[in-house]
Amino acid sequence: MRLLLRGRDIPDLHRLSVYQANGGYEGLKKALTMKPAEVIDEVKASGLRGRGGAGFPAGVKWSFIPQDEPIKYVAVNADESETGTFKDREIMEGNPHQMLEGALICAWAIQATAVYIYLRGEFWDIGDLLDGCIADAAAAGFAGKDILGSGWSCPVYTHLGAGAYICGEESAMLSSLEGVLGQPRVRPPFPAQKGGGLYREATVVNNVETLTNVPWILTEGADAFRAIGTEQSAGTKVFCVSGHVPRPGNYELPLGTPFRELLVDHAGCDPDNIKAILPSGGSGPIVPGTDEVLDTPLSYEAMQGLGTILGSASIIVMDNSVDMTWVASRVTKFFKHESCGKCTPCREGTYWLDKVLDRILEGEGRPEDVQLIDNVAKNMAGTTLCALGDFAANPIIHTISNFPDDFNAHVQPKPEEEQPAARPARGGRRRRASA
Amino acid sequence: MAETVTIVVNDREYQVPAGANLVDAARSIGDLIPVFCYHPKMAPVGMCRMCLVEMGSIQRDRASGDIMLDDEGVPQVRWFPTLQTACTTNVYEGLVIRTNTEQVDDARENVLEFLLTSHPLDCPICDKGGECPLQNLTMEHGPGKTRMVFGDKLKLDKHVPLGDLVFLDEERCIQCARCVRFQDEIVGDDVLAFHERGRSLQIITNSDPGFDSYFSGNTTDICPVGALTTADFRFGARPWELTDVPSIDPWDAAGSNISLSTRLDRDAGGRAIIKRVMPRQNEYVNEIWISDKVRFGHHFTRSADRLAWPATGESRATWAEALQGAANKLREAGEDLAIIAGSGLSNEDLYALRRLAEGLGSSRLGAWPPTHGGADLVAQVGLAQGSNLGTLCRGDAVLVIASDLEEEVPLWRLRLKQARDRGALLLVANARHTRLDDFASRQLRYATGGAAEFLANLEQEDEAAHGLLRDANNLVIVAGAEGLDLAGSRALMQAAANILVETGHVGRPNNGLLSPLPGPNGMGLHYLGFTPENTLDIMANPPQTLLVAQADLLSDDPAAPEWLVKVDNIVEMTLFQDTLGDRAQVVLPIQSFAERDGSFTSGERRVQRFYRAQGPVGEALPAWQVVMRIAEVLGQGRAKSSAAAVMLEMSQQVPAFEGCRYRDLGWTEKQDPAVGEDPWYGGTALLNRGGLGVQIPADADGGEVESCAPDLPESVKSDEGKFLIVPTTRLYNRERAFRATEIVSPRVPAPFALLNPGDAQRLGVNAGGTVEIEVDDGPAVQVLARLDESIPRGSLALPRHLTTTAMPLTPAAGTVSRVNVQSAAMVQTHDA
Amino acid sequence: MSLHDPRYKARIAGHLAKYPDKRSAVMPLLYIAQEAYGWVSPRGIQEVAEICEMDPTQVKSIAGFYTMYSEREKGRYWLHVCTDLPCALNGADTFYRDLREYLGVEDGGTSADGLFTVEHVMCLAACDKAPMLQCNFRYMESLDMEKMKAWIEDRRAELQAAGQGQGS
Ligand SMILES: Cc1cc2nc3c(=O)[nH]c(=O)nc-3n(C[C@H](O)[C@H](O)[C@H](O)COP(=O)(O)O)c2cc1C
Ligand code: SF4
Ligand code: FES
Repeated sequence: MRLLLRGRDIPDLHRLSVYQANGGYEGLKKALTMKPAEVIDEVKASGLRGRGGAGFPAGVKWSFIPQDEPIKYVAVNADESETGTFKDREIMEGNPHQMLEGALICAWAIQATAVYIYLRGEFWDIGDLLDGCIADAAAAGFAGKDILGSGWSCPVYTHLGAGAYICGEESAMLSSLEGVLGQPRVRPPFPAQKGGGLYREATVVNNVETLTNVPWILTEGADAFRAIGTEQSAGTKVFCVSGHVPRPGNYELPLGTPFRELLVDHAGCDPDNIKAILPSGGSGPIVPGTDEVLDTPLSYEAMQGLGTILGSASIIVMDNSVDMTWVASRVTKFFKHESCGKCTPCREGTYWLDKVLDRILEGEGRPEDVQLIDNVAKNMAGTTLCALGDFAANPIIHTISNFPDDFNAHVQPKPEEEQPAARPARGGRRRRASA
Repeated sequence: MAETVTIVVNDREYQVPAGANLVDAARSIGDLIPVFCYHPKMAPVGMCRMCLVEMGSIQRDRASGDIMLDDEGVPQVRWFPTLQTACTTNVYEGLVIRTNTEQVDDARENVLEFLLTSHPLDCPICDKGGECPLQNLTMEHGPGKTRMVFGDKLKLDKHVPLGDLVFLDEERCIQCARCVRFQDEIVGDDVLAFHERGRSLQIITNSDPGFDSYFSGNTTDICPVGALTTADFRFGARPWELTDVPSIDPWDAAGSNISLSTRLDRDAGGRAIIKRVMPRQNEYVNEIWISDKVRFGHHFTRSADRLAWPATGESRATWAEALQGAANKLREAGEDLAIIAGSGLSNEDLYALRRLAEGLGSSRLGAWPPTHGGADLVAQVGLAQGSNLGTLCRGDAVLVIASDLEEEVPLWRLRLKQARDRGALLLVANARHTRLDDFASRQLRYATGGAAEFLANLEQEDEAAHGLLRDANNLVIVAGAEGLDLAGSRALMQAAANILVETGHVGRPNNGLLSPLPGPNGMGLHYLGFTPENTLDIMANPPQTLLVAQADLLSDDPAAPEWLVKVDNIVEMTLFQDTLGDRAQVVLPIQSFAERDGSFTSGERRVQRFYRAQGPVGEALPAWQVVMRIAEVLGQGRAKSSAAAVMLEMSQQVPAFEGCRYRDLGWTEKQDPAVGEDPWYGGTALLNRGGLGVQIPADADGGEVESCAPDLPESVKSDEGKFLIVPTTRLYNRERAFRATEIVSPRVPAPFALLNPGDAQRLGVNAGGTVEIEVDDGPAVQVLARLDESIPRGSLALPRHLTTTAMPLTPAAGTVSRVNVQSAAMVQTHDA
Repeated sequence: MSLHDPRYKARIAGHLAKYPDKRSAVMPLLYIAQEAYGWVSPRGIQEVAEICEMDPTQVKSIAGFYTMYSEREKGRYWLHVCTDLPCALNGADTFYRDLREYLGVEDGGTSADGLFTVEHVMCLAACDKAPMLQCNFRYMESLDMEKMKAWIEDRRAELQAAGQGQGS
């Protein structure tokens, strides 16, 4: 069932007329007949959780916004920069109005004065597409001044980032929008509080996918939404599947669908040739491709039970040919490149992890280096301003704990006189056909 | 007393001020949480992660509000799952922290390890070595040895000039952003920033000139490592070789407390000389900041043109001969003696001069330069005792009028910018835009030269502004003299005083009048009877004998040669050679502020001591001593043996200085925040050991003061198509004393005039072109034209002291004059 | 071409109108400066600073933080090749190495003809279509070297044609 990737089923859904012909903006119309607090209650009741990574209940977040502030904002997080994530892109390309409608319903619920959509810089085309959609929606009275005659005005703007993963972190995103350096801010105050949001005003930050669920919840009702998925993970989720996968791509399935169904049935993986899975891009703890894992439902709670996270559900599959030391190094390069540099442990830690991993991969590793990077990573975890520090620690800590042999193989003391052993195969050597 | 809350630190309860920063609160109870990025003067950013502690809150029952106890009757604590940064936490009732656990120790060690892995092993050659927070904290919390491979260290540029005053060593920088935040938050010149990101993060400036701020040097103090160093001190000495001598800013009315760090130096023949100047913490005065002029301007004390020997006539003399010669001239003059004293003299010098004059029956005591009137009004209704500009906040108001405070008293401008940030209203009134306008809540404009009229009629001119001043909880007015002659300046001060009195803003802390009087001791001149009005009288009616003390008449006043010829005898006391050239019959070398003890009275009427930091130049003596020895020759009694003794007598003879004995001035108290005391916030020179000074009460502090209508002189109007020319002040200029500071010379502009683009167009000059300016019947000069929209049509702003000799167009008395202005190109065509 | 050129006026005004604070327009304006000068040149920074009423230092800081602003001159085609994990698992490293060899450049370098600047980048949200790259911020997906060679030669031919057009 597709609530979000409806663009696959309905051609030209990005056109307002097509969108409207398929029930578009009915959710917003309904919301405007309700009191803002009622809208919040409905979304709360639906159990919708944030799809940007943390899984925080959306309605609860909205209810934090102080009622009586004159200026409030909605900031849509379309920064989508986590390694292996490409769902928001497809949602916005195929079903942009539904995302806009969701954002506007949110805006009504908190009585926002403007909506900003923060797109990662590479999404130029999507920016153009959205600007067109916004203009169309405004012309039809769904956005901008005096929306649907309600007397409430709320313009919608797009803003392009310029290549910085950290700007997906909500407080960094707000700073970036304000024109200051895109580094995370001290919290509290949180974005939903006065002083913590955009221009220091109370602000809801939600992910694209989160908001795209909202029109459906309004038209079909919270109960219908709850009926999909599991008790604690309601609704569908777009799973981005990539890596060593015959049929990579986005799959929208109810939350709670087991890994096996997604990877084997839908994406076509050979269950015996899955060495490891990164369930949430580079940032979540890696898990081995065991039967236990494959039988785990893809829900927030079950993934937590596995010691990892559902996160943004960007699932990267690695087959048995892959050297986990190389994976750790590649993911570390990402975080080293994307660390904003504000916190000492993250800035210095990612630099040193990368240096030592390079050395290990070049056959220059010392036996104590595995212990060293494990220790460095653990020293980073839990000590930084934003979660990137933890994200960067995860690939080291969990690849070492799950695949110690892959590391040790690189740092075995070499018998004297002997030449360094041939390097183990690296994932990058293999070319996989993609569907 | 502020509200307090109970917090638990390492299982003991403490009362601390509610809402205080946790690092500060812990420090106040003796628990030193280590920090790098945190600085108590700036908003916390939580970036270095050095201050991690275990943190939790005492649990209370939701319904009853009672503290929840565990089985053993101990309050239950809900702990955060991870360590939290103390610097981003404000204390609240029931906050519990642990700073002495293994987890916290580990975290500190780990953060230090992270910092050190990238830090160069420069300590043996680093300017910060010995007073380096990183060094100190490494000793205390650091890991014993490195686990990283040395070759993996990042190699970066160690010599990046951020402009010509401050250098960056990229390898040493630990990315704490203190410098960036200082420039942005405290100064408002956000000319530093980070470039790139992650481990590539580096401090940059992209201003022109580089690091363009009058406060740049402060970043080198608050930098917790040796990454930022000044061009002045870089590789100059090791901090532990330095002796920090308490002193006072010798340049302006702020009276910034400073330390002169001296060292016995080979280049100075093994004698102590100043190696650097640093702020000394005085929360009432300058907190922990100084302007770059104060920091770098000390070079005149050792400049080659210092006068080393006394002289009579053409030839070098012994002191005995010189003193006798001076005494003869003075005796000859008797009552017909006049004295002109510069504002760089100490209170003690001025007292000695006054006593000398009194002994001879003269009361013609002139203050130099005679630009600012109304010091007497500061004495009456000046900023009240107990005031602190650092506490002005929401509900308070400040009016700055007829002053370009950034250029005149930069430190006041810095503090007022911050008052504005704390919510105080900042009204800036001038005929043109000045830097302070950038921070103003409201800008007020009046016609060139019209400040006094404007303020006297403020209620009619701008009712709203008047209302803001009237209704403020506290009101400070800073009145300068830009565009005013002496009478006009006095009238402006009177108008300001009237507003303060009429609206009840006198006699209470944080209320009253300030004036950016030139030099460090403008108020001392007033209290000891030296007035600018007398100076004008002296100029108009030259005496038989003129004693000139530390006043550079020829450089300041283009008319000086004319009136000085009418004086029969000149006795000069001076720091420099060639000030009055061969006009003086007796020339006596005196010591600079750095070579002797003394005191200045700041614009806030704070009497503050400075101490001898280095030996004299040649045979120069303290001015008070020279004067008293002349008096001794004249039979007026024995000279005092020390500055302290002079002050002791003053404190008995001059009511204003009652309570200003050196012992009183040397009083100190614990400063809050206690920045100067510990090794984590900056250099050791910050600690105030020399005394916080004593503020002379304003008359209004004791009782009623009445207002009286100002005597409004007619303001000058532009006529006959001529321009009004307004002499203005530039902080960096070519005044004799400042010229010796060569590192700043590149920042002193060529002489220029500011004019309205409309006028420029009419004259046919472009920005950067030349204009020729000619006073009514005087000489003509050519200066560069700079265009400024805010300059009223028909006016020109002409900075003083951009030439080494007196600019014919900048009369000492600061008057607005009518001049002819032409584009220089046109003048040349005439010639052709 | 300066930012004050009339052709940019409407776009700049449009961006300034979006935000309550001029400073917020710094990022969109830096893109325009990059377009105008071909890179984020010192003059571009100065002009953005003036329009956004910021100190040029702050503008430079923003320009340096993000990877999509180039503070050095670059070729007409700026190729951002993703070599992040999902792409690397599908041959992106080899693809990138071959591409560089073909163009004869190092990572971050510009081809001798000045046409192509290549750089490796982190995940571009196209992991299911690896190998892939962005050329002047427009996606090119599911690539292989054959496709790339053809594309490169097309660009070269285009330029030559244009050059000859000018010459005649
Ligand atoms: C380093 C970092 C990067 C992040 N990147 C993104 C992102 O690209 N997109 C996103 O929606 N959320 C991202 N997040 C999560 C956001 O901070 C925030 O939790 C989210 O946008 C909230 O929306 P939601 O409640 O709808 O999920 C990131 C968080 C961190 C710490
Ligand atoms: S954890 Fe890393 S990315 Fe996050 S604020 Fe700190 S330095 Fe920046
Ligand atoms: S993070 Fe608290 S002092 Fe730096």
